[in-house]
Amino acid sequence: MLTISVNGKMREVNSSQDTPLLYVLRDELDVASPQFGCGLAQCGACSVLLDGQEVRSCIVSVSQAAGKEVVTIEGLPERWAKQKNLPSAETTALLHPVQEAWIEQQVPQCGFCQSGMMIKATELLESRPKPTVDEIKAAFTTSGPSPHLCRCGTYIAIVEAVRYASILMTKGEA
Amino acid sequence: MEQLLEALTADVYGAKLTRRGFVKAGGTLVVGFGLLRGGVARAAVRADGNAFDASLPQSWIEIRPDNTVLYRTGKSDFGQGTIYTAYRQIIADELDVTFEAITTVVSADTDTTPEGGGTFGLLGEGTPNIRKAAAYTRQALMQLASQHLGVPKDQLKTIDGVVYGGGKQVSYGELVKGQNLQLSIPVTGDLTSIFGLRITGDPPLKPASEMKVVGKSYKNSNISSKVMAEEIWVTNVKLPNMQHGRVVHPGTLGSHLVEAGKLDRTKFPNTQLMVKGDLVAVVAPTEWEAVMASWQVAGTTKWTEWKGLPGKDKAYDYLRNQSDWKAAPVARGRKNKGDATAAMKASAKKLEATYRLPYWKHAPIGPTLAVADYKVDGSVTVHTHTQNAQALRGQIAMMLGTSLDKVVVKTYSGSGHYGRSNGGNAGAEDEAVILSKELGKPVRVQWMRNDEMQWSTQSPIAFSDVRIGLDANGKIAGYEIDHFMPAFQDDRMIGAVIAGLPTMDAPSEKGRILNSISNGASDIWLYDTVANLDERAHGTYQIGQKSSPMAIGLRDHSMRTPGQFQQNFPREMALSEAAALASADPLQFRIDHAKDERLITVLKRLKQESAWETRPTPAPKATGSSTGVVRGHGVSAMLRSGTYWGCACEVSVTPATGAVKVDKYTIVVDPGIVVNPEQLKRQVEGGAMMGLSIALHEEVPFNESAITAQDWLSYPILTMAEIPEFKVVLLHNPEVGTMGQGSEAANALGASAVASAVFDATGKPMRQIPLRPAYVKKMLDARNSDTNKVPPNHDEYNDSTKPKTGTPAPSDV
Repeated sequence: MLTISVNGKMREVNSSQDTPLLYVLRDELDVASPQFGCGLAQCGACSVLLDGQEVRSCIVSVSQAAGKEVVTIEGLPERWAKQKNLPSAETTALLHPVQEAWIEQQVPQCGFCQSGMMIKATELLESRPKPTVDEIKAAFTTSGPSPHLCRCGTYIAIVEAVRYASILMTKGEA
Repeated sequence: MEQLLEALTADVYGAKLTRRGFVKAGGTLVVGFGLLRGGVARAAVRADGNAFDASLPQSWIEIRPDNTVLYRTGKSDFGQGTIYTAYRQIIADELDVTFEAITTVVSADTDTTPEGGGTFGLLGEGTPNIRKAAAYTRQALMQLASQHLGVPKDQLKTIDGVVYGGGKQVSYGELVKGQNLQLSIPVTGDLTSIFGLRITGDPPLKPASEMKVVGKSYKNSNISSKVMAEEIWVTNVKLPNMQHGRVVHPGTLGSHLVEAGKLDRTKFPNTQLMVKGDLVAVVAPTEWEAVMASWQVAGTTKWTEWKGLPGKDKAYDYLRNQSDWKAAPVARGRKNKGDATAAMKASAKKLEATYRLPYWKHAPIGPTLAVADYKVDGSVTVHTHTQNAQALRGQIAMMLGTSLDKVVVKTYSGSGHYGRSNGGNAGAEDEAVILSKELGKPVRVQWMRNDEMQWSTQSPIAFSDVRIGLDANGKIAGYEIDHFMPAFQDDRMIGAVIAGLPTMDAPSEKGRILNSISNGASDIWLYDTVANLDERAHGTYQIGQKSSPMAIGLRDHSMRTPGQFQQNFPREMALSEAAALASADPLQFRIDHAKDERLITVLKRLKQESAWETRPTPAPKATGSSTGVVRGHGVSAMLRSGTYWGCACEVSVTPATGAVKVDKYTIVVDPGIVVNPEQLKRQVEGGAMMGLSIALHEEVPFNESAITAQDWLSYPILTMAEIPEFKVVLLHNPEVGTMGQGSEAANALGASAVASAVFDATGKPMRQIPLRPAYVKKMLDARNSDTNKVPPNHDEYNDSTKPKTGTPAPSDV
């Protein structure tokens, strides 16, 4: 049996070690925000953070996640709370600024790709708090194994939301 | 009690208000439809797959004693957000309550929602129903208030859920408290048809000037629940004992099964192989085992050979020369007039051109998925993501040879698929039902990415021949167009077809609205000064449908603006070419040929908002052989379901490579009443970006046997790096009512503007999309006499300007 850390909690896994992390999260651990899109790392619908780096959970086996920290959008509020020394998100209605921005800017349409989009945005903003529009476009297009695809065409809204989240996250900083 | 009930039976503009009794706690006013028209047929599945309801659905609107409101709709959400925003706003205004008072939206389950119908044209088609339901309800509440307050109804007024009159007041909630009230409103139509039920009668509606909630940018509650990971997606549905199914689809679009592959039981001990007719599938308790077992079985399953398709490179030749265009009647444009042929003969300058549009996939990011739970009593519940739950219910009942009351369809959030399931199914639903019935357990079927690309329906291929004659003043004297497109609405359930089970008839000349092979003149003519106009639309069978031993071939289905995109592109591109013949500015050329004031307003505003430089097209320095970058601008216009659109864009073209970059995009839209500006703006942006994707990239590759796209590399779509500077201008026009059409028309509008901008930049007409570099290069290099013959003949997507993608194979896992 394998134990992996998901959104700050240690979870025991019964699935075979070669099972893609995506199926383990969704089917066994009921962490359902990453979606199956292609199974080929070509779309980004299944993205999660693995030790802070965006990976495609459809091609990462669960054994590769052992000893590392898996974060999905369910875990973003707590991640933000820890980073900012705020009271635990479990006892407050806290949202990660990326989530706040996604709501404020009314980004999702069908929303199927948006969990992966928010994961990508979080990865970007943690390393680059004030990205330019070109840096945002590059992050979602060329930085990973494939572009993050949205069929509803919400790319414009995503750019605006990342900029909005950047403002929220850098508030009060020089 | 009897007397009281009688006393409270009242006629409300043709609806019937009754008090069913008193209750100790709670109380509601429920607005449903009664059997006023009498004789509702029950549980009979008709030959075309449609049926009246078996068990009466629930109410449209419920007024609760705490003064909150619940509303139900048979429509679902496919990312438009309309049922959570615009519908709520329209109901709030018509009912005279606040937006926040409508606390609950129940949608698209066949056992709990009224009206049915497809999720399309939500505002234009759907607004009359919800407005009338709310208007009847408000009148019924005023009726109750009149009795309660002892004030004549005509002396009452309503504000934010309270009725005032004679110096007294009572809230809606107080009026229903402790009572069980039913308002039965008159309806007509067919619950499981593509259009569903329509509310009849004429309750008094509020004028636009009295609307307070409509017109404001309320947020979509469904977005919050998705962002906070609280949404229940169809992908999350889990049932006790549920098995994971994967289908091994046939080797070609015309193959029968020879022999199902042997399942390796040592590797997949918990998997079962299932065969029904030509349908091969595996089911397993875990998803990964099902996936791997399906790959193993697929590798050894044998299919009959079939080569009945022309292949992509010969598709347009095949369509023109080998398709039977006499099988369906020719449809004529509604505005046809004069004698276009005679006008053409007398014209000094003429344009004769052929325009081509390929097959596109709906290409949802998530493949089709359904969970079916077939019970021993012969009932089945299907959990899925569909645009028309009632129609799917009718189709499943037909496949099982059972009555409608045995089938329930539950709808959840899922990956948008843009029209593919407006007739009921998206692909996996029937397969899940077949497997669940055979296995006696709930089965979840999710297609893999290759199934999604190769076995789903697509938007049909099309071409158009245009002839335009100009008079001595450079005005259009005559316009003739022939549109050619195969049947575009094949709603047969593919699993049922493969398994040999009953499903609706394939498209044919005998077909009706959902399975006709006729084409219609669906792009409304806009340029009313043209005296001689002849528009004709020709339909035929789908390619491969008749030659496939399985009657499959390339199945088509409506996508966003079915038929209209395919007719608007040739018309608008030809208009820009005609402007060039007249040495005119293409935007002013359109204004000069228009009479409709709404169109003229949109185009004039477009000129201003896009900072349009008025000059003849092509650009003075246009060239298709420069070594640098050339720039141009283009324009297009469209009328769809009462909404007027104008689009202008600017492009940069690199003639050496054929690369096209769209720099700036401006859309002006007059949709009548703008119900929710922010939501409409987002819908227009999204639709336009998908349209840009179609204009630049999309084309379904196929050989003589099958669709050869398998993934996002072989069917590329737009990426974020390609988005242009974008501007949407909303023209609120309350006098004309609510027309809607946010993302659909925005999707169709842009391709001709982009193509005409490339023409403007290079002087070479772009008569087909997608504008992939290799195609653009070919069109730039074509001699003028060959412009109509440029063959669409390359299969590999070798656009070096597109971001590189390195894709690990599944075996890397």
